[in-house]
Amino acid sequence: MTTNTGPQVGVTLYSFTNEWLTRQFELDTLLAEVAKRRLGPNIEIIGFQNFKEFPDVSDAYAEKFKEMIAETGLNPVSCAINSDRFLKPGQQPIEDAALVEYHKRQLRSAKKMGFSLVRYQFALPVHLLPEIAPYAEELDIRMGVEVHAPMWAGHPAVQAYAEMYDKLNTPVLGWIPDFGGTASRIPESMLNAARAKGASEDLLDKLKEVWLEGGMSHEKAGRLREWGLAHGHAPLHIQAACLAFFILSNNDPKSWAALVDRTIHIHGKFYGVDDDGVEEAIDYETILPLFKDGGFTGTMVSEWEGHAYDARDAFEQVRRHQAMARRIWGTDVN
Amino acid sequence: MLPVERVIGEEGLTAIDGGLKLAMRLPWYRSLPFSVVEVGSLSIDGQDVDLADALIEYDGERWPLASNGERVDTFWFIRDSAFLILPNRALDVGSEHEVALNLFVSPPYIPGMKRTNPQTDTLRVAA
Repeated sequence: MTTNTGPQVGVTLYSFTNEWLTRQFELDTLLAEVAKRRLGPNIEIIGFQNFKEFPDVSDAYAEKFKEMIAETGLNPVSCAINSDRFLKPGQQPIEDAALVEYHKRQLRSAKKMGFSLVRYQFALPVHLLPEIAPYAEELDIRMGVEVHAPMWAGHPAVQAYAEMYDKLNTPVLGWIPDFGGTASRIPESMLNAARAKGASEDLLDKLKEVWLEGGMSHEKAGRLREWGLAHGHAPLHIQAACLAFFILSNNDPKSWAALVDRTIHIHGKFYGVDDDGVEEAIDYETILPLFKDGGFTGTMVSEWEGHAYDARDAFEQVRRHQAMARRIWGTDVN
Repeated sequence: MLPVERVIGEEGLTAIDGGLKLAMRLPWYRSLPFSVVEVGSLSIDGQDVDLADALIEYDGERWPLASNGERVDTFWFIRDSAFLILPNRALDVGSEHEVALNLFVSPPYIPGMKRTNPQTDTLRVAA
């Protein structure tokens, strides 16, 4: 076994959401396709997307999954778990003890299936980390909180986590940057999808304006909704436009430098890589060197999210994204 | 229509014991507890359907639609159809009808997000 000296590329099966939802693949055939196209070996899987038994995977299914992995030669690096705290819409979030147990169930399942880390979410209140981190240590599995739009390195929630990370001082806790938090613009392909649904230019102009303002995603969505309804726009056009608030924000790409040291894994979020190998919304040329220069040796999984609004060939998009990463990081990347 | 937006399932509309069974897909990218999914409305041939006695059927189990909001630990696997059972609404096998279904989804880790997912399709009633 060799020791990695630099960043690696891989893929999250989330990129293939369209192919999965339309039942074009079973899990074994999807893994085989990823292996055949050489998009691994390092992969991420969202527990609640690909495993029916999640959050409580049986021993029998875990064995079956390990056999699939052995057959394809892939490496299950990351299992994305969810911090589902708002189980009854419009009511109070669930009790802390229930949320802690919900995380433990998912951690056990991920470990049992052979994943080396999990992605978790800021919906987990920071004061619960002291209850969960020792359990992750006991299981010997790392946990990375996903720094996802509208979060970024300078966000108060990230800073509160950083303080708790310092206090707990354990190697099992880290960051998973998602580059959607530092997008330079809303992808034109997303705007085109909203146009195709009938959204008009003045709504999209207002979207671009509100997108640059401060606030949480749902606050900005509320602002656009209010403006849109007052100006006669259809609710479904407004909903199509509001997608941007929940998956992208416009923070400084260089700000990731502050999180490199504790970064254990990366979501290489993207929407479209053109024929010249350039992503349409996210400034990879600025972002990726920060991680290589900072000594990151984990995996960036290519995470194509265009499926939220269109149906391009995800496999081709991932191929392009990985080629772009190799170009920027250099040829020694796997 | 994108896969993540579809709410009418591939199995369509079926006649059952004096009632109907409609296949539904979850319009999201991952499995969710049933408690965060709400049947906003259903109409057949332009007429609103009264859902007071409707049931949900999933994975061999049935429960009243009215108690769906309590199902916090029953997960709707994203690949599966769940079925809306209408016990007292009969249609002739082989007849075609315009079905309009709207599901509301509130992802349990994104505070404040509630998505509306309308779909209208013409379905032939299967036996």
